[in-house]
Amino acid sequence: MSSKAKRKLTEMLFLLPTLLAFIMVIIIPFIYGIYYSFTNWQGTGAASAWVGLDNYKTIFQEPGFLHSFLVTVIFTLFNLVLVNVVAFVISLLVTSEIKGRNVYRAGFFIPNLIGGIVLGLVWQFIFSNILPQIGKSLGMNLLSKSLISNKDTVIATMVIVNTWQYAGYIMLIYVAAIQGISKSVMEAAEVDGARYWTRVAKIQIPLMANAFTISLFLTLTNSFKMYDVNVALTNGGPTTVFMMKPVQASELLALNIYQTAFKYNNMAAGQAKAVIFFVVLTIFSVIQVSYNKRKEIEA
Amino acid sequence: MAKQAVVVERMAGSKPHRGRQIALEIVTLLLFILFMMPFLIVVLNSMRTNAEIINEPVGWPANIGQLWTNISDVWNNPNFNFLSALKDSVIITVLSLAIISIFSAMTAWVLVRNKTKWSSLMFFMYVAAMVIPFQVVMFPLLTWFKQVGDFIHIPLLRSYQGIIFAYLGFGEAMSIFIFHGFIKGVPLELEEAADIDGCSRAGTFFRIVFPLLQPVFVTVLVLNGLWIWNDYLLPLLLLGASGSIKTIPLAVQGFNGAYVKQWNLIMVSTLLAMLPIIILYLFAQKYIVQGMVDGSIK
Amino acid sequence: MKKILALCAALVMVLSATSALADLVICQNKVEITAALEAFAKVYEEKTGVPVKVITGGGSSDYNTVLKAEMQSGREPDIWVIEGPTGYELWADKIASQDGAEWTKYTSAAYIADGKVVGFPVAVEGYGMAYNKDILDKAGIDPATLTNFDAYKAAFEKLDSMKAELGLDMVVSMVAGTTTGMTWVTGLHNFNVYLTVGNERNDTTYIDQVLAGQVDAERFHQYCQYVALIFQYSDPEMLINGTQDSQLAAFANGKAAFYHQGNWMDPSLVTLNPSFEIAYAPHAFLHEDTDGILVNPPSWYVVNANGNTEEAIAFLDFLATSEEGADYMVNKAAMVPAFTNVTLAPATPLSKSVMEWNAAGKTYDWQQYKLPDGFGMGTLGQIYELLASGAIDVDTFEAMMIDAIAGIAK
Repeated sequence: MSSKAKRKLTEMLFLLPTLLAFIMVIIIPFIYGIYYSFTNWQGTGAASAWVGLDNYKTIFQEPGFLHSFLVTVIFTLFNLVLVNVVAFVISLLVTSEIKGRNVYRAGFFIPNLIGGIVLGLVWQFIFSNILPQIGKSLGMNLLSKSLISNKDTVIATMVIVNTWQYAGYIMLIYVAAIQGISKSVMEAAEVDGARYWTRVAKIQIPLMANAFTISLFLTLTNSFKMYDVNVALTNGGPTTVFMMKPVQASELLALNIYQTAFKYNNMAAGQAKAVIFFVVLTIFSVIQVSYNKRKEIEA
Repeated sequence: MAKQAVVVERMAGSKPHRGRQIALEIVTLLLFILFMMPFLIVVLNSMRTNAEIINEPVGWPANIGQLWTNISDVWNNPNFNFLSALKDSVIITVLSLAIISIFSAMTAWVLVRNKTKWSSLMFFMYVAAMVIPFQVVMFPLLTWFKQVGDFIHIPLLRSYQGIIFAYLGFGEAMSIFIFHGFIKGVPLELEEAADIDGCSRAGTFFRIVFPLLQPVFVTVLVLNGLWIWNDYLLPLLLLGASGSIKTIPLAVQGFNGAYVKQWNLIMVSTLLAMLPIIILYLFAQKYIVQGMVDGSIK
Repeated sequence: MKKILALCAALVMVLSATSALADLVICQNKVEITAALEAFAKVYEEKTGVPVKVITGGGSSDYNTVLKAEMQSGREPDIWVIEGPTGYELWADKIASQDGAEWTKYTSAAYIADGKVVGFPVAVEGYGMAYNKDILDKAGIDPATLTNFDAYKAAFEKLDSMKAELGLDMVVSMVAGTTTGMTWVTGLHNFNVYLTVGNERNDTTYIDQVLAGQVDAERFHQYCQYVALIFQYSDPEMLINGTQDSQLAAFANGKAAFYHQGNWMDPSLVTLNPSFEIAYAPHAFLHEDTDGILVNPPSWYVVNANGNTEEAIAFLDFLATSEEGADYMVNKAAMVPAFTNVTLAPATPLSKSVMEWNAAGKTYDWQQYKLPDGFGMGTLGQIYELLASGAIDVDTFEAMMIDAIAGIAK
């Protein structure tokens, strides 16, 4: 075998394990999933019949699903902003001259270590018990009742909890980017008399464009696919009225899909919703990344 | 040169920033306390009885010794079997991490070093897959794994190899993405030199490139490790509630009764579930944070 | 590197030798009885040599996920739980007939479909308005008189006016929150009050109407007034934010005179050591008298027709007819058995009250489980929460409920 052919073969072999797993674990089940969305599949192993677009027609007439779409978009927008602002501010703090910045860097990451029911439970305690207590003693009306069971503030609570969990992770990306900017550039600007915030805005942020693209992409997909915090913290509630029908105020898409499949025992409609979910998320991601890439080039 | 000298001078005499410095430290400390608060609540509630928690969800423990009572309750509970769950969690996490990181690094390297239409298409495909919601594939995956397992006579359900393979499938996209970004920044000269010295392609990767990937390796290990360690839904589906293999999250869920929630035991068991990973994190944090910093961006 | 890979591969091979499965597999949904059921399974294995394995999925949607996962992947259990017609229809082609099984002689609560006995009643559960006898005594209210809407209204008003001297925070400890996942209390259990109170058991008039998208206007109007009455005298915070635990704590600590829950709360209730006498009063929502609490099996064990059918039925027979089975059901799992041959009586207060009402023959049926999946807890539960939070008034509540029920027929 020529060395070139051998080289090619090695490279093929290198690609093989991930490709195989990808096809077996994601692609084939994904195609199955799309197929089932056109049937009356029940998830019981029993035979299912082709129903065409029926599932899609039904879900688009469902106020709960449309509302979920809306709140998911709202949640994602606020989450994108808050997670990234907090992460960026923390990253500035822990790259400044403060004492113990390594401890802080490690500490802010710790919320990423836990997940699931405990996270929701603990934050439920905070929102339903601790904050109302503080609110009552300070005489603040808004805080004196649980923010979770208030339809106007429930999304905010999810944004806060998600920021708490996720900001430490995004922070590390920003820290890396800040450290990647050569010191002399910042120092030169300082000497030229540029104020701190001007330096951040005019020099640091443009030089970190790549980090923003990655962080925004990660936060976008993370927010859109949010399930754990949603189910553990709010369980989709409380109830609100949308299109004259009662709907769940904080039920994001992933939870709505799960509930359709299991609570309402409608697997096929759940699959159809998941397919729509995928399409929308893909569109959002492509828009965001290409927009950021254009900004990167401009910068 | 002149500028640098000025800089040194200014840095030496940076006293005017003293007030701002203190303000910064206070802000950081407050933020930090805010971030740590929920952990404190878990720890405090681990030291209380279920009745105490039900009556007053947040409060000081009446008797610290309750912590040991709770721990021994959890330890001796036949439903939980902490040690066996720990063993299963460790096996699954460690083996999954090993194959995810090695195979993803191999793939990313080949994709970066071959600038063809095919390689960009494949890379795009992996990135695009990151947006596929787990819900779309979870039930079809189960049926499919059953069929394949029957066909090749190696069980993919209720077995270590099945779930590890699934973790490779679900974890590789993100890992390839991260490795890809890092390898782009690794200079080609070293590899070309190895090539000229007659090193095989695999040899070049494992001897030259692989050691250079160490920082980003840590990133990939941490991200996947946290996810796999805490994951609930995939083990529930693939290992099944009846299987002999049970991860810690599956076992913890055993206390989350439909009618009777034993909060003190849930708290303690979660504390126990968190401990190994927090201890590991504290030991390795220097490398982890540095690795994440070096790796996540380039 | 190759060595590491080889090592991994070897390790996987070694580990892949999975352990043999038990002869009988039970998939069930009550986390709180798992330990007791497993212990009973051990006893059964010692007696008969047949190993039994218990799989538990907690909560209703988790149970469905677990069961579907087991079925999908070809690990079909021999015995599993159904909670009503939707569960039965989903798996009908796999469910075996248990006609002629020994246990069927001792119960009237079996699940019967298409003229065949298919489901073994797991237990009998009941709910009504649990009351704190001490408080009612102090307020001079005789619980035996609580048999119609007006009696309840008068009692609630009186208790409300005496809250301070009785040490009450609220008259009724009631929950309706979606965030806390308590809508089964309203959308299923409370709604069933409309469906069956005052009717003979097995009278399906109102559920049939609902499934056809209709309600009985006058009866439904009275029912909505009753819901509004309960909510009015509950604590607004508790209604929306109350969890199962806080709802229980308010009652067990003497902060509420009434408690809208069933006897399944007994294991938690006794850990809080209530110092007063507790029993059930009826959900009497009509202006005319009705006297009875709502009692039924919450779920049934069905047997897989393709599995170890005979052994599964033998296991259920043993459960219903042996001393060990009675001991497990009553003493270990704290359940009220559905079998006439079991003479052990539960010692916990709510279960005891359920037994007494049952023995007196004053019970009404459960038919909420005939609602489509998710309709009671989800669709209706949301409307109850809107009323509880004050977002809508009782007239809008009535209209929205009727509208939602009309949507079933589609």
